[in-house]
Amino acid sequence: MANYKDLNEALKAKEARERAEQTAHADEGMHLDDVSRVKILSPGRQVTKRFMRNRLAIFGLYVLIIMFVFCFIGPLFYPYGQTEVFYKYDTISVDYALASETTSYTGYTVDEGVELERNVVSMMNTNIKAMEAGSLSEMNVSGSDGTLYGLEKLGEGIYTLSRYDAERLCTVGRTVLHVGLIDTITGEMSYSEGVDLGSAFVSAAAAACSGTEGEFEYGGTTYSFERAAGRRYDIYAANEGITYYAEAPGREFESALEAAIDNGDTMFSIDDPDAEPVLPAEGEEAAEGEEPAEPVVPQIEFDLHLDSDGNYSVYQIGEKHTGMVFTTFSPNMYNAGTSVTDEFRVGTLLSAYTTGEFTADGQDYTVEPDGEGGLLVRDSSGSEYADFTTFVIRRYDGKDTMSYALKSDIREVVAEMDESGEMRASVISQVPQQSADGGYQLDEDGNQILNDTELRITRRDTGEYVINCDQITYLIDLYAKPSAEHILGTDGDGFDVLSRVMYGGRISLMVGFVVVFLEIFLGVIMGGLAGYYGKWVDNLIMRLVDIFYCLPSMPIMIILGALMDALRMNTYVRLMLMMAALGIMGWAGIARMVRGQILSLREQEFMVATEATGIRVKDRIFRHLVPNVMPQLIVIATLNIGGVIITESTLSFLGLGVKHPLATWGTIINSVSSASAMSEYPFIWIPVGLLICFTVIAFNFVGDGLRDAYDPKAKR
Amino acid sequence: MLKYTTKRLLYSAVILIFVMFIIYTLMYSMPTTYLEQKARELASKPGAGKSYDQWLEDLNAQYGMDKGLIAGYFTWVGTALRGEWGESWAWTVPVVEQFNNTVWYSFALGLVTLILQIIIAIPLGISAARRQYGFTDYFTSVVSMICISMPTFFLATLLKYIFSVQLGWLDLSGMQSRDYMYLSDFGKVLDVAEHFIMPAITLTVIGIGSLMRYTRTNMLEVLNSDYIRTARAKGVPEKKVINRHAFRNTLIPLVTTLGGSLTTLFSGALITETLFSIRGIGYASYHSMVQGDIPFTMFYLALISILTLLGNLITDLLYAAVDPRVRLS
Repeated sequence: MANYKDLNEALKAKEARERAEQTAHADEGMHLDDVSRVKILSPGRQVTKRFMRNRLAIFGLYVLIIMFVFCFIGPLFYPYGQTEVFYKYDTISVDYALASETTSYTGYTVDEGVELERNVVSMMNTNIKAMEAGSLSEMNVSGSDGTLYGLEKLGEGIYTLSRYDAERLCTVGRTVLHVGLIDTITGEMSYSEGVDLGSAFVSAAAAACSGTEGEFEYGGTTYSFERAAGRRYDIYAANEGITYYAEAPGREFESALEAAIDNGDTMFSIDDPDAEPVLPAEGEEAAEGEEPAEPVVPQIEFDLHLDSDGNYSVYQIGEKHTGMVFTTFSPNMYNAGTSVTDEFRVGTLLSAYTTGEFTADGQDYTVEPDGEGGLLVRDSSGSEYADFTTFVIRRYDGKDTMSYALKSDIREVVAEMDESGEMRASVISQVPQQSADGGYQLDEDGNQILNDTELRITRRDTGEYVINCDQITYLIDLYAKPSAEHILGTDGDGFDVLSRVMYGGRISLMVGFVVVFLEIFLGVIMGGLAGYYGKWVDNLIMRLVDIFYCLPSMPIMIILGALMDALRMNTYVRLMLMMAALGIMGWAGIARMVRGQILSLREQEFMVATEATGIRVKDRIFRHLVPNVMPQLIVIATLNIGGVIITESTLSFLGLGVKHPLATWGTIINSVSSASAMSEYPFIWIPVGLLICFTVIAFNFVGDGLRDAYDPKAKR
Repeated sequence: MLKYTTKRLLYSAVILIFVMFIIYTLMYSMPTTYLEQKARELASKPGAGKSYDQWLEDLNAQYGMDKGLIAGYFTWVGTALRGEWGESWAWTVPVVEQFNNTVWYSFALGLVTLILQIIIAIPLGISAARRQYGFTDYFTSVVSMICISMPTFFLATLLKYIFSVQLGWLDLSGMQSRDYMYLSDFGKVLDVAEHFIMPAITLTVIGIGSLMRYTRTNMLEVLNSDYIRTARAKGVPEKKVINRHAFRNTLIPLVTTLGGSLTTLFSGALITETLFSIRGIGYASYHSMVQGDIPFTMFYLALISILTLLGNLITDLLYAAVDPRVRLS
C-alpha cells in the first residue's frame, strides 16, 4: 500500500502546482473548453447539494434540529423538572377550627414510675363526677387487685390520682400455701420461695408422704401432700384464720380488723405504737383556720380487700405517689407555635392552687388563677407566657397551632354569641397562610404570613362552635392556564406541561431511534445473509420475513400492553420491552430490501474481485455489500422513525405504552383524553399533538429528500 | 393460473400456520395467574352462567393451555378448523356471533372511507403528476405528508374538539343519539350515518396521503414512458393523452393495490372505532384484547392474518388479470 500513499502525495503535489499556475494566469481568462471550468464534486457533496436544493427537505431538517435542541438541550436550560409539582395560593373554604367548653377530664402523667391500673384511669371521669356531686376533696378507690388509689382535688378543675404503697400484711380465711416439693427417695426438699422449715421438717415429711395424697402434722400445723410425679410430693400448708406475711402488729390490730370486717369497712386504722403524738404544724393551722389542734397520734392505715376466693386481704398502707393529674384546662400559649411539654403542663396544674411556682424544662414559671376561671402562667421575667382555660379552641386537626390573638378574637365572639343566644356570627381576624404540607407559610424573617380573613362561627347543637373561613392555602396548581410562568400551563399532577413535553420528546425520539436501530440491525443481518448465500438460507429467511410481514403488529402491541398492565410492570421495563417488541416486528421490510439490493450487487464486478482476492465472507458481506446498501438504509431508517413515533404515541395514548411518571408525547395527550378534560384543556393536548405531527412530517420530508438526493433517477 | 393460485393458497396456509403459532405462543406465555384472575372475574360477573372451574376447563379444552406448547397449539388448530371458536369472555356471546354483530358496521365504515379516498386521492395525485414541481404538486405532497404523519388519535381528538365541543354539530362518540329508539326507520339510518361522519373523515384523511403519493408516482412513471412520448409526437391532444393513454395505464397498479385492500374492509379500524365508540369489529377486538378475552382475540388475530394473506394473493392475481404483460409463474 506504500506505493499508493506515494501516488497520493504525488497527485496532491501536482494539483498544488496546477493551482498555483492557474492563479498566476488568472487574468489571462479561460478558454471555453478549459477543463478547470468543470467542477467535479465528490459523490457525497453531490448528494448534499441535491438535498439542499429540496426546500421541503431543508424545512424538515430545520424542524428536526429545532426538535432535538428543544428536547435534548432545552431541559438543561429550562428551570423546571419533569416531575416537579407546582403550587399556588388559593382560597378554599375550610372548617378552620373547633371551639368547645371542655367538661371531661384529661389525664397527664406526672411520674411514669407510678404504675396505675388502666381501669382506674379510665374510671377517673366518673369518679371525679362523683366527687363533685358529693363535694369531696379526697376519695379512695381500689383497683381490681386490691391496690388502693387516692383521688385528690387540688382546686377547681384539677384532680390528682395517686397510688398508695401497700404491703400485704395478712389474709383472713382459709389459705393454702405451697411449702415445697419433696423427693421421698433421696429425701431432698426444694422449698417454695420464702419458705424454709429446716431439715427436721424434711425428714418428718419424707416419712409421712406415701400414697397419692394425705395429711400429716408437724409443729402443730397440719400439712397436706399430693403426689406430683413418681415419688415426689407437693406439700401444702393449710391455715385457718389470719395468715401473716409480715410481722403481726398485735392484738389491737386484730380486734380492729374484726370490727372492720363486721362493719363491712374497706379501711381501718390503729394508733401507731412506735410514734409519738405530734402537734399540727403552725402554718397549716393558720391556713386552715381550725381550732388549736390537740396532739394527734399518727395512725397506721390498713386497707381491707375482699379477694375473689372469699378471703380478705389486709394491706398496710404506706406512702402515696401521685401518678397522674386530671384536668379540664387546656393551655393557650401567647406565642403561637410554642410547644407545650407535659412537664410544663403538669407543673402548672400541680402548682396552680398551691405554691404557684414551678420549674419546667429548666425554666421557672409562676402560675395563678386569673379570676375568670382560668390560670395564667408567667415566665421568669414576669411577662405572660400562657393561660389555661376550659374553653378550648383548636385547629380542626386537633393541633394547638393557632395564635393567641386569633384565639382571643374567637373567644370574644363566642362569649357575645352566648349572651345573645345567636347561632351564627362572624369576625374578621388574621389567619395565617398555609403551606403545602399543611403547616404555616413563613416569610423571609420567619414570621407567619397573616391575611385578614372573615371567620364564620356557627354553633352546633352539641354546644361546639365551628369556625369556618376562606383560608389562603398553598395548593397544587392543577391545570393552570398558560401563563408567563408556565408557557403551556400545568397538567393534572401539577407538573409543568412544557417541561413534560421536553422530557417526553426525549423518550419519544429515543424510542424512535432505538427501535429503528434494532430493526436495521436485524434486517441487515438477515437480509445480508439471505442475499449473499441464496439457496436454502435465502428461502428460509424469506419465509421468516413473510411470516413477520403477516404478523398484525398493532394488535400484538395492544395485547402486550394489556398484559404488562396486568402484571403491574415497572415503567422502565415496559419501555424496554415495548422497544424490543417494535423492533422485532419491524425488521422484515428492511431485510427484504437489503436482500433485494444485495442480490443485484452480488453479480457486479467488485464482488467478483473480492472473491478473487479471497476476502473473508464476513467482510465481503458487511464491508463490501452492506455499505452499498447504506443510502437505502438511511432513507428507510429516516422514514421509519416517523412511523415508530406514531405507533409509540398511539400506544401511550391508549395507556398501553409508557406510563406515569415517565412522559412521552402520547401519555401527555392521554392524560387529558377524557371528554371533559379534552374540551377544558386544549392548551395541553393541541400543542403536543402538533409537535408529534411536525416531528413525523419532518422525518418524512428529510427521508424523502434523502431518497431523491441519493437516487435522482427515481425522482424524474 | 389455477396452478399458480393453488400453489399460492397452499403457501399462504403454511405462512398462516406459523403466524398463528407465534400468536398462540404469545397467548400461551400469559402468566397462569392472569388467566385465573380473568376466569375468576368472569365467574363472578352477574349472569356468568359458568363457574370459575368451568371457564378454565373450557379454556383448556379449546386452547390446550394445560398441555405443552406444540400439543396445545394443535389442539387449538383442531378446534379452530372445526369452526369452534368458543365463547367470548368480554362479550359473553359466542365469538362468531359477536363477529356477525359487529363486522357490518366496520364494513360500512370501511367502504365509505375507501370510496372517499379514491374520489379524493386519485384525481389529486394525477393532477400533481401532470404539473410536476408546480403549485398543485407541492400542495399535494405537503398535504399527503401531513395526512401520513397525522396520528389517528390526534386527528380524532381534534375533530371531536372542533365538531362536537366547539361547534356542537355532532355527538362526541357512540353510534346512536339519545332519541334513537323514537326515530323512524329512515331516521335511524340517518342517525347512525351522522355518527359515522367523524370516523369516516378520520380514516379518509389518514389514508389518502399514501394513496395520493402512490398515484402520483405511478402517473409520473407512465408519463415518462415511451408510448406517451409517441402519442404526443403523433399529435394526440394532451387531454386525450392524459385521460386515455396515461390514466388507463396508471390504473394498473392502483386497481391491484386497491383490490388487495378490499379484504381490510372486514378487519375494521382498531384505533378509530375505539376512539369513536363505533361498535365494529375493531372496537370489539380492542376491548377484548385489553380485557384479556382470549377466544375473541385469537379469532380476531387469525382473521386479520388470513385477510392480509388473502389481500396479497388478490393483488398478485389482479395484477396478472389487469396487465397482460405480466406472466404468473
